[in-house]
Amino acid sequence: MKRRILSVLLCAAFAVSMLPGCGSDSSNADSSASSDNTASDDSQESDMQYVKDKGTLVVGITNFEPMDYKDENGEWVGFDADMAKAFAESLGVEAEFVEIDWDNKVLELDGKSIDCVWNGMTLTDEVTSAMECTNAYLNNAQVVVVPADVADQYQDTDSLSDLNFAVEAGSAGEEQVSALGLNYTAVTAQADALMEVEGGTCDAAVIDSLMASAMIGKGTSYEDLTYTIGLNSEEYGVGFRKGSDLAEELNNFFAESYADGSMQECAETYKVQAALIEQ
Amino acid sequence: MELILEQFPIVIQSLNIGFIQTLKLFFVTLLGAVPLGLIISFGSMSRFRPLSYLTKIVVWIVRGTPLMIQLLIIYYFPGLVLDNPIWGGGESGRFLAASVAFIFNYACYFSEIYRGGIQGVPKGQEEAGLVLGMTRSQIFFKVTLLQMIKRIVPPMSNEIITLVKDTSLARIIALQEIIWAGQAFLKGSQGISGAIWPLFFTAVYYLIFNGILTVLLGRLEKKLDYFR
Repeated sequence: MKRRILSVLLCAAFAVSMLPGCGSDSSNADSSASSDNTASDDSQESDMQYVKDKGTLVVGITNFEPMDYKDENGEWVGFDADMAKAFAESLGVEAEFVEIDWDNKVLELDGKSIDCVWNGMTLTDEVTSAMECTNAYLNNAQVVVVPADVADQYQDTDSLSDLNFAVEAGSAGEEQVSALGLNYTAVTAQADALMEVEGGTCDAAVIDSLMASAMIGKGTSYEDLTYTIGLNSEEYGVGFRKGSDLAEELNNFFAESYADGSMQECAETYKVQAALIEQ
Repeated sequence: MELILEQFPIVIQSLNIGFIQTLKLFFVTLLGAVPLGLIISFGSMSRFRPLSYLTKIVVWIVRGTPLMIQLLIIYYFPGLVLDNPIWGGGESGRFLAASVAFIFNYACYFSEIYRGGIQGVPKGQEEAGLVLGMTRSQIFFKVTLLQMIKRIVPPMSNEIITLVKDTSLARIIALQEIIWAGQAFLKGSQGISGAIWPLFFTAVYYLIFNGILTVLLGRLEKKLDYFR
């Protein structure tokens, strides 16, 4: 008898634990409808208010010199990191940096585990359709990386047609090579694309020029790689949740800091002043 | 070679930090999943049909879907669908979400191993206990349990060693375990960028730790060898 009662209790506990799961389905419809509302009209609490109430602006980053990286004290620094700290200060909140998996940046934003993606993000169509993006603030280019000993054979786009490329999945580099109709393999990160070239599994890679200048050549594992031509020019922006009013706020903040020269100063600290875009 | 020697101390320090995170996830999962697995195995063996069916369905779902998807669902679902990011964005929230996913997943695997161990004890022993006037819980704790433990050690060792390596899946929700730490040097971290060897070197950590576990679990098996 005792066993029977125990069984019933356990079963009830199970059922109860399942209930929120079922309930979520109906509230799911509500909440997605209401989040649509926030996108169209501002009747709901705004994203800026949400961040201010929380007291922290959670910035999603990857370790990416010279935009976001750790100094000797383990503190996040870089052009993006410093600007993010200044922006958070202007909102009266604290900036918190969280390393994310770049493939999951939209998931992280919509799941509210981060509040913005501020990490030298190229403004592609994919990015601008999934996020509320700011104006561009830095120029960049996608460059072709090949082994140094064959570099002189690949100095124009026509010569690239018989190469097998490695590019980061979903990156601006992938967009470029597929637009040119080149053969390519999509890998998980730009760094992995370089590993493919170094290991000989691919003939060439396409990565950001800012990254290429930091990652290949002397003092790295890729001493025998070099970069040749740029395939396009492109721009970096900051991404917020779709419909967020923080993007507009940051545009204003960029304009102010460009006007008073603090943005240029910050860019010079990290040697990216040549790429800075007038706000 | 010279370059690697120069990088070695910095890389090892960072890999150690990552490995501590790996070990934390491993031990937390083990501590949670070993007892939870027992409860789930009782559920699936229950004579109360609805409970046993329900448990079996849950076990089917958990064992039938990739752990990587379970991690993504457990971490992102509350914020995406319920509009309530219960885990938060920081490292501790990611660890908590990963722990929940791992404990539940491994408890379901363990529960099946326990069930095999319990049902492998001859029925006659239970009947003998009942004839002697023992209660069912007395029979379980004094007759069945120890024999079950002896029986489950080899299959459990297998799962435990798999668990050590599976912890690397948690990097999908950006938990910074050792593989993440090794990969960071590919992109650039602490002045080292484009270094390939740290990623491959992480295998040494897994290999040594699993070597230690294999020896310890082998000893445990020998110790339990006093009855057949």
